[in-house]
Amino acid sequence: MMGPSGAGKTSLLEALAGLRRASGRIEVSGERLLDSAAGIDLPAEKRRIGYVPQDSLLFPHLTAEENVRFGLAKRGPAAARLFDEAVGILEIRDLLARYPATLSGGERQRVALARALATRPRLLLLDEPLAALDVALRERILPYLLRVRDEMRIPFLYVTHNAGEALLLARAVLLLRDGRVLGSGPPSDVLAAHRVEAVDPGASFDNIFDGLLEKKSDEDGVGRLVTPRGADLLVPLDPSFPLGRAVFSVAPEDVLLSVRPLDGVSARNVFEGVVAGIDRFPSDAIVHVTAAGLPWRAHLTAGSVRELALAAGRRVWIAVKTQAFRRLR
Amino acid sequence: MTGEDFSILLLTLRVAAVSTVVILPLGIAAGWALSRGGGPVRHAVETVLALPLVLPPTAVGLLLLQLVRPGGFLGRLLDRAGVELLFTWKAVALATAVMSFPLLVRPVRAAFAEVDPRLLGVARSLGHGPFAVFRRVALPLAWRGILAGTMLAFSRALGEFGATILVAGNIPGRTQTLALAIFHRTQIGQDGAALRLVGVVVAIAFLAILVTETLERRRARPSGAPA
Repeated sequence: MMGPSGAGKTSLLEALAGLRRASGRIEVSGERLLDSAAGIDLPAEKRRIGYVPQDSLLFPHLTAEENVRFGLAKRGPAAARLFDEAVGILEIRDLLARYPATLSGGERQRVALARALATRPRLLLLDEPLAALDVALRERILPYLLRVRDEMRIPFLYVTHNAGEALLLARAVLLLRDGRVLGSGPPSDVLAAHRVEAVDPGASFDNIFDGLLEKKSDEDGVGRLVTPRGADLLVPLDPSFPLGRAVFSVAPEDVLLSVRPLDGVSARNVFEGVVAGIDRFPSDAIVHVTAAGLPWRAHLTAGSVRELALAAGRRVWIAVKTQAFRRLR
Repeated sequence: MTGEDFSILLLTLRVAAVSTVVILPLGIAAGWALSRGGGPVRHAVETVLALPLVLPPTAVGLLLLQLVRPGGFLGRLLDRAGVELLFTWKAVALATAVMSFPLLVRPVRAAFAEVDPRLLGVARSLGHGPFAVFRRVALPLAWRGILAGTMLAFSRALGEFGATILVAGNIPGRTQTLALAIFHRTQIGQDGAALRLVGVVVAIAFLAILVTETLERRRARPSGAPA
């Protein structure tokens, strides 16, 4: 779920969780949680919907372990199994004895996720769970979210301003503004149709590339990402990561643009392309380029856009260093 | 300390303890309700609860007396139930309970108001009903304020004078608490005997503060900053 602040994202999550009075109808996998017309309004504790907000909201008077056990029965094999599974997936065994005040932001989010997962919710609501974390930490936590989705098979509704996260995690994107649905559907379609940057000035846009990672036989530390619809990209190869299906991201700041053919530069990924459009802001701009069959976003200052006389349809060359690619999975 | 001093001390402690224990659940309930609710009803209730703080204690005592005297609104009920109240230690406890109640409610309400309502929401979404959430999240997070309020109420109960003397009189061996006895002994010129009781009061106050602070320090560690 994406949209500018004040669009109603958090209100929607709270209404789903039963933490905010709402009218209308809410149905999850066939069960009515709210139906004002029929007088149905299940209390939060009966909805089995997990909620992880941006600031974790761990219980400060309880240890990490007590937090994770909070929603579980006091004893019994089922509780022990759910606890172990949540703790294992989020790799928080070493943190269990600690109090929230002594945990870092990323650790807190993992404990909060484990706490919600341990109750086996039928739906997980994640309200910008990574927004308070820095980029490096964000990339360390994303794989845990993918495990929740793929291994535990718990569907989630995820609020983000980060289009990269949406592309990586979501099967469908819901774009909200002023309490209304502006668009919904497959992430790439919605993001392409609505220019989320224009709708949500706070949105951040990493370039995300999905493909098959191969070893580049003649060079150590460099791999080839074969993308299904575009050219091959040269990306860093960490021997501790497996080859095969992989997702890489590149910050729009790391995509260089030139209006002349590039020759003799150190960057290994150099492609010819065309400007598809420009989102202009007071001091900077996001330039959308289609190059080598792939969509790219480059973040430029307003001055650069002016000096290069960039406009839609203009022929450009892009250059991206191998080391600018970060592996997400 | 003489035997008489000792029995005065025991009576005072018993009355203050009973009064505090009786109002504690009521004060927690009232503090919780006031911290969550809003609007004109809450303001009206808060004003009424604060009255014993601002009225002269003798005025409160007289109003209480009107309520519980034979033929009074509560007096008739007590009579039917066969409870003898006026001029007994129970009357002292009633007077101290009424006088100390607002001192309990205020810090409790403030402590509950500090508990993030979103934290309670998360606890609900983890499958616990309102009462369990109150017991497992709100209560432990507000314990400092509850402790402070209890301590205040107990101290107030120990020293209550004005309301007590109207509802319970000043009967040695029956309703004469430390505060009343100090007044009585000074009136009859036994300043030395009165000063002995002052010493006892100072010792109790000192102990109460010490116990409170020790409890706070012991419970403060877990939820505090990195050790």
